[in-house]
Amino acid sequence: MNNRGKLIIVLAGQPNVGKSTVFNVLTGLSQHVGNWPGKTVEKKEGIHVYDDVEMRIVDLPGTYSLTAFSEEEKIARDFVINERPDVMVLIANAAALERSLYLLSELLLLDSPVLVALNMVDVAEGQGIHIDINSLQNCLGIPVIPMVARKNKGIKEILSQVILLADGKLKYNPRIPDISQDHRDIFLKLIKLTKEHIPAPYTVRWAVTKLMEGDPEILRMIEDTMPVDKWSEIKSLFLKHEDSLRAVVGGRYDWIETVIRDSVSRFKRGQVLATDRLDHVLTRPLFGIPALLGALATVFFLTYKVGSPMQRLLEGLVKSFARWAGPLLSWAPGWISGIVLDGILGGAGTVLTFLPILLIFFTSMAFLEDVGYMARAAFVMDRFMHTIGLHGKSFLPMFLGFGCNVPAVLGTRIIESKRARLLTIFLAPFVPCTARLAVLTLVAAAVFRERAAFISWSLVAVNILALGFSGMLASRLFLRGEPMPFIMELPLYHKPNPKTIGMVVWNRTKAFVKKAGTVILGFSILIWLMSNIPGGRIEDSVLGRLGRLLEPLGAFMGLDWRMLVALLGSFVAKENSIAMLGVLYGAGEKGLRNVLPDMMSHASALSFLVVLMLFIPCAATVSVIKQEIESWKWFLFSIIFMLLISLGGGIAAYRLALLFGI
Amino acid sequence: MDKKLFPVTSLKEGKEGVIHSISGGLSLISRLAGMGVIPGAEIEVLQNNRGPVIVLVNNTRVALGRGQASKILVAFDPSQKKG
Repeated sequence: MNNRGKLIIVLAGQPNVGKSTVFNVLTGLSQHVGNWPGKTVEKKEGIHVYDDVEMRIVDLPGTYSLTAFSEEEKIARDFVINERPDVMVLIANAAALERSLYLLSELLLLDSPVLVALNMVDVAEGQGIHIDINSLQNCLGIPVIPMVARKNKGIKEILSQVILLADGKLKYNPRIPDISQDHRDIFLKLIKLTKEHIPAPYTVRWAVTKLMEGDPEILRMIEDTMPVDKWSEIKSLFLKHEDSLRAVVGGRYDWIETVIRDSVSRFKRGQVLATDRLDHVLTRPLFGIPALLGALATVFFLTYKVGSPMQRLLEGLVKSFARWAGPLLSWAPGWISGIVLDGILGGAGTVLTFLPILLIFFTSMAFLEDVGYMARAAFVMDRFMHTIGLHGKSFLPMFLGFGCNVPAVLGTRIIESKRARLLTIFLAPFVPCTARLAVLTLVAAAVFRERAAFISWSLVAVNILALGFSGMLASRLFLRGEPMPFIMELPLYHKPNPKTIGMVVWNRTKAFVKKAGTVILGFSILIWLMSNIPGGRIEDSVLGRLGRLLEPLGAFMGLDWRMLVALLGSFVAKENSIAMLGVLYGAGEKGLRNVLPDMMSHASALSFLVVLMLFIPCAATVSVIKQEIESWKWFLFSIIFMLLISLGGGIAAYRLALLFGI
Repeated sequence: MDKKLFPVTSLKEGKEGVIHSISGGLSLISRLAGMGVIPGAEIEVLQNNRGPVIVLVNNTRVALGRGQASKILVAFDPSQKKG
């Protein structure tokens, strides 16, 4: 290994330019997904060694620009300004070079050298866009390397140029865009006024540009550091030049135009792309909605047809493992084997058997995302999401919730507006996850027999209605505000990339397993202890007594103490309630399916299922909600709200069922 | 050529024009600028029903809420044949 330190390489780029493909190729399984310190924005980094040089590759959040109007943009630029990476690689989209150059124009104002990786040159050529690399390089004054990340072309060239650039062995003489002609005077005036007051590590030119863009953070910073008289002078300058943002943007696009004119030639204009032909169908309400329903139905069909048998297989394996491990633990006191067999294997182990179902679900979702369909789904759903105070972008994380609520809550990070994110997190637990659906199908099949399918679908519908109702209520009463702007790029459709899909599935699954391994494991042990202390019968345990204590409340909903205990147990993980019902009703050899019909009346079973479906989410989801919502007030509000809705729903279901004699 | 100004929301599908101006807050203007939606850029309306609008600017398809789309003024010749 080289004896110099690690190089810090930053990957920057707008969304949909293939940045994650490049990142995955470079870092593979060395990549680490975490959070930016103190932020709920994903931070991805990994290590790559090329030519004996070790590089720490940091993937910046994909942003269109670097003005601090969103958390991602702030993080991206703070990282570059504070860490001073050795090289920044801008992944540019050759088929839409103009806007990639827009981000470049912002990067060039920062201190680290930039290299342009011109991705998707094949797509551009296919659309009749030819880019002359040499002239582009000359116009920009910085190195440009063409590549096709999906086909692994150009990556090596980029790496060797990155090292040369870091060592200062490449010509690097960037041409930086000016402010529009009519605002150059005020720009120079501002530089003069602020020159001595810009704190390191910011550069004067950068800070003044941001000032003119109206960047809220820099405005605040400069107001704090400037003497009062100079600040008021600046303020009066801005009053006279309200359109200074236009001057900055205009200057950038003038620069972009010059670059494009010299290096890009277009022929074959006006061709109709496959994307437009597909969109003609997929984004129109008439066909788009049935297409969306069809796509989602296929996802569910695949997930359950393929996943459920695998889940049952794993469940059997866990059970026989427990039977095999039982005698091995005979030396230990009863409480140890109890914790290991019933607590860990029965609780956390059962949760892990859902892994195949989740894997298939996540893979189908990642596939739809990767080919570009999910943006269309968000577009089609936009009008419906508006009725609950959200817009289309919230649809994707919510739909993920059908697999598992944990990635759904984490997935809300794609939503820019804080209010919309809060509302989406608040509503996500209403989406019934695989675990709840598993309990639902089992109990419904046992108690309602031939009417099971009807009951199951109705309860899923109840959840969706509860989601809609809560959304309307919350967006009108508690989370009122400006209607949120909906701006979203619709990327070109393209062939799925197994590696990108694989990485998405891997990261989402890892998040789930981590939760199962920590939060769920901890609560599994806790619940086991609560149901076994003091020893003897479960009726006399802490949990049993708690259930009995709550029995008067349960009576409203037709729930006996056992069902109440099973609901409490569902907090560990929803599928736990099956195991608890089995123990409490002494199902033993006969099997829960055969015991339940004698133990639960139809009305009670219905009420139990309604409460279970709407109850406080599982411990893993609660812990990510707490982490993502960043406010105790909203966190507690959300939990209490779910509790009230579920209990209210239970009472209503029980009373209605008695009334109609179901 | 007799060009008039129209908000994007009032243009029929398939119509093309040049963006004249964008009213609205700094945050909207700079977000759109990052996507290539700026005054002077050619714009084509790909979809304009009751819901959100899809426009094509700089070879990029952008979906916009009606509120945002109505803030973009386009210089457009109503007698334009092609479209």
